[in-house]
Amino acid sequence: MSRTILHLDLDAFFCAVEENKNPALRNKAFAVGGKPNERGVVASCSYAARKFGVRSAMPISRALRLCPGLIIISSRHAQYSEASKSVMEHLYILTSWVEKISIDEAFLDISELTESPERIALGLQAGIRDELGLPSSIGIASNKLMAKIATEVGKKGAKGDKPPFALTIVPQGKEAQFLAPLPAEMLWGVGPKTGARLKGLGIGTIGDIASWPEEELIRQFGEYGRDMAKHAQGRDDRPVVTEHEIKSISQEVTFSSDIRDDKSINKSLVDLSAQVGRRLRKKSLAGTTIKLKIRWPDFKTLTRQTTLPNPTNQEKEIKETALKLLKKIRKSGQAVRLIGVGVTGLGKPIRQLELWQPESEKERKLQEVLNELKDKFGVNAIKQGN
Amino acid sequence: MKVTILQENLARGLGIVSRAVSPRSSLPVLANIMIATDEGRLQLSATNLEIGITCWIQAQIEEEGSTTVPARTFVDLVNALPGDKVLLNLDSSTETLNVRSGTSTNDIKGIDAQEFPPLPVPDMDGAVQLNVADFKEMVHQVAFVASTDEARPVLMGVLVIVDKDQITMAAADGFRLSVRTTKLDVSVTEKINIIIPARALTELARIASESDKVITMAIPKGRGQVIFRLNDVELVSQLIDGTFPDYQQIIPQSYKSRTLISTASFLKACKQAEIFAREGTNVARLDIKPAKGEMEPSEIEISAVSEETGKNETIVEATVDGDGVIIAFNVKYLREALEVINTPNVALETSAANAPGVVRPVGEDGFLHVIMPMHLG
Repeated sequence: MSRTILHLDLDAFFCAVEENKNPALRNKAFAVGGKPNERGVVASCSYAARKFGVRSAMPISRALRLCPGLIIISSRHAQYSEASKSVMEHLYILTSWVEKISIDEAFLDISELTESPERIALGLQAGIRDELGLPSSIGIASNKLMAKIATEVGKKGAKGDKPPFALTIVPQGKEAQFLAPLPAEMLWGVGPKTGARLKGLGIGTIGDIASWPEEELIRQFGEYGRDMAKHAQGRDDRPVVTEHEIKSISQEVTFSSDIRDDKSINKSLVDLSAQVGRRLRKKSLAGTTIKLKIRWPDFKTLTRQTTLPNPTNQEKEIKETALKLLKKIRKSGQAVRLIGVGVTGLGKPIRQLELWQPESEKERKLQEVLNELKDKFGVNAIKQGN
Repeated sequence: MKVTILQENLARGLGIVSRAVSPRSSLPVLANIMIATDEGRLQLSATNLEIGITCWIQAQIEEEGSTTVPARTFVDLVNALPGDKVLLNLDSSTETLNVRSGTSTNDIKGIDAQEFPPLPVPDMDGAVQLNVADFKEMVHQVAFVASTDEARPVLMGVLVIVDKDQITMAAADGFRLSVRTTKLDVSVTEKINIIIPARALTELARIASESDKVITMAIPKGRGQVIFRLNDVELVSQLIDGTFPDYQQIIPQSYKSRTLISTASFLKACKQAEIFAREGTNVARLDIKPAKGEMEPSEIEISAVSEETGKNETIVEATVDGDGVIIAFNVKYLREALEVINTPNVALETSAANAPGVVRPVGEDGFLHVIMPMHLG
């Protein structure tokens, strides 16, 4: 089955956090790392510093020689972890299939999402920038290897002393073609040593590796040669591994322009509720707390929640609760920038049956049938009439 | 008004009526208790407009009169007075009640009794005589299941049906139903079918003491009220308007398995399961296992799991007649049902995991309790 994997990498993450803390640093050449007299290394450097040739992992003494005016800031890891957590929470809103690979990097399996990968990526970048003030680059492809390389390629292609905000999408089937001109070192596991050996064999690009027979690579590099051959073709079937216990399922949408029209807002809420319900049911979960998130044009963000007596994963119940919450905080005609619906307090969809079978029970049965149809024939197979 | 009264009697009377006080009403006088002299006794009344309670106590009356005083102040004061005579003296020009006991003297500002909602003149025509002990047990077995959800007002009440020499009380909260029927000593000529707020019945059961022996219940025509009379107490309650859902229709007419079990053992097992179940969704799983062979035992396994705290499993010996079934219940519902059953053994009738379970005391036909199971998803 074809997958869509998104790789997100925060641009000069530590520096971005420092800039948020102290806006005077913006556009200045500075680096985050240990103290210069303690023989520390650069953990992260601003894009302005990069122009001078300063790089991560470079000894600070050398960085200072390259860029004498470089401002050095001691790392404040507690703050970075905090910011990282907020970013990851942002990702979990999109899907629970998130694999955090480091403080500033993560893979997301977005195969199940209905929105186009490009829109998802742009929305994610905008959300993380608007809400947390952090720049990020994204790569999207059919697997983890390709997605990560796509991000790197995007970042490398960016010019200037501003964060790249890159977005690179590798279309399905174009993996090998995308990789072919790239230097062999960009492939996972190819370090300077292997790189030198490859050079000795006359291999400079990933395309060169791909054109070598697999048996030959295995003979030269052992088991690793087998992986190399596979990776050079752009093939990688490792799944996105999530350790995250699903605590909430939510869905939100940022409107391309602020919306005032009650009908359109209600319609978005209905659609979001349907998506949340579907995701809950797919995972055999139900939750008791319904959350509504709303952002006004001035970026002020509110959340409101209600707890139901019984856990639900039904579109109708989620929708009705969310609409009630919306009524409480939004005046008719009030402009909205973003709206979101979430369900927390998750557990098994255990529910108390009722003595007098109510409408909700009939609705549930109807939904079960509809869901089966949608799973079989797609979400557009059957729709509610008016 | 000038009255002398025993502190003990006054405190007891206030204890009875103060439950009907409405402290947060928009009508200030409803936070007060009315005090009035009435044919040689002192009358105390309180009402929240839904329920009104009046109590008469022995007193020595020197001068007739009436007033209302803030319930909280008056009740707290009387409870703090030494256990002796209390002298109540109303200065009607300032509407101030002087309360004196021993060396303690207190002035409480009152509100004119004219402002207190008029109490209904009881019309005890066609009244029903209920045995106090029976009444208390019926309320105890039924009223607790009534709903507290104001969205379904009818279910906040207890359906009371009196037909010839039989009285039935039924209550349900949408998930469980409790029905109790008993015989009356005196038959009624006209059938009664009313919904009484569960709170009114619970209050009445609390107030009624064995020494009262008989409760008289009257439903004056066209007033939407029910009046209960004990020796020295009268309770008036508004009736709940509406139609109680057809409860007969949801009582299963048959079952696939009937499990006889010791009430005490079953209750104990449920209480243990609840310690874990309450951390989550309150679910207890019942695995009803019929005997495998002629001489083999049959049993019921009760278990509960909590993600956080752990799990529990209890096996209780039982006589299972019919098919085995695994069924899940809100264990609180099961525990509460078993707690009001007085017989040593109880029968649990089940048909399927998603069909109602019926709990009946063995050897007592007047009571049954229906509980809807939980769907495990």
